[in-house]
Amino acid sequence: MRFFNSLGIVFYATVITIIGAGLIIYSFNLLQPAQISDVLVYLQSGLNTRLIVGLSGLLLILISFSFAQLILGRFQSEKTIAFTTPSGEVTVALSAVEDLIRRIAVLLPEIRELRPDVIAGKKGLMVDLRVILRSEANIPELTARLQELTKSKIQSALGIEEQINIRIHIAKIITSEEKDKKRKPQSGADPVEQQAGLPYGGYGRL
Amino acid sequence: MHKEESTLDLGTIKIHKNVIASIASLAALEIEGVRKIGKDFKMGLWEMAGRRSYSSVKVMFEKNDEVCVELPLVIRYNFNVLEVANKVQENVRNALERMTNLTVRNINVAVQGIEKDEASSRQS
Repeated sequence: MRFFNSLGIVFYATVITIIGAGLIIYSFNLLQPAQISDVLVYLQSGLNTRLIVGLSGLLLILISFSFAQLILGRFQSEKTIAFTTPSGEVTVALSAVEDLIRRIAVLLPEIRELRPDVIAGKKGLMVDLRVILRSEANIPELTARLQELTKSKIQSALGIEEQINIRIHIAKIITSEEKDKKRKPQSGADPVEQQAGLPYGGYGRL
Repeated sequence: MHKEESTLDLGTIKIHKNVIASIASLAALEIEGVRKIGKDFKMGLWEMAGRRSYSSVKVMFEKNDEVCVELPLVIRYNFNVLEVANKVQENVRNALERMTNLTVRNINVAVQGIEKDEASSRQS
């Protein structure tokens, strides 16, 4: 597998180098547009050359997919918490922990939006919470409750005793005025304007 | 695709990897707290192409006829992840040993996500 990984990396480096070199050559006027055009015309002229070009394209797509899978797989495997059990290993994706935290927003009506980011480090779990609040919320009381709730949810779901650091960042506080503004265009807008928003709504009125 | 073979007096019995993957998936879904079997990149591609027969459960045959299973799971909200994973490992091991007589070496569970049931999420 390592051989294929190295092969993929070498392949991509070569392709990108060739593209870079081509662009440099072009910028120095060493390659004329007519020459490029000749090559493209030649590639399209015969059945064999077209076949070769088509198959090369297909090969490139396949290599790209396998490379993307490799990279994504590596990212996924890095972002997990692992537990060893007698029957094997249990890995919990950090995105699963984030899913769990996202559900807490439903329990607290003062929270309009909750975006968690979980990082597993040597010192334990680091949880960053980006929160959008409604204006009526008491921030110190709410953040304390949110921290407590997040910690207890993670501990009860994963059964871990390690340190969990929870950082809360309040990104926005939505006031009731903002909410009203969003609602007003629907209720108070001119009926002609409203219809103009619809496809062909205002057609022929002017 | 690799197949597990066992030779008897009357002939050879081959068990395909997909059979083991199916047994493992069904055994995992029997456990309360398992929402569904997770997906991998290949499964996503197959689904995009309109094929749903691909299983994301990975089965590997080790030396001495031992089997290793990798099982991606999505767990239901409000369940203890480790407890559910342990139950899944036990149930999958029992099912595989009972149905195929194979020796199960490792059952690696990868929890990919936590989801609510459709009915309960609609209510909330």
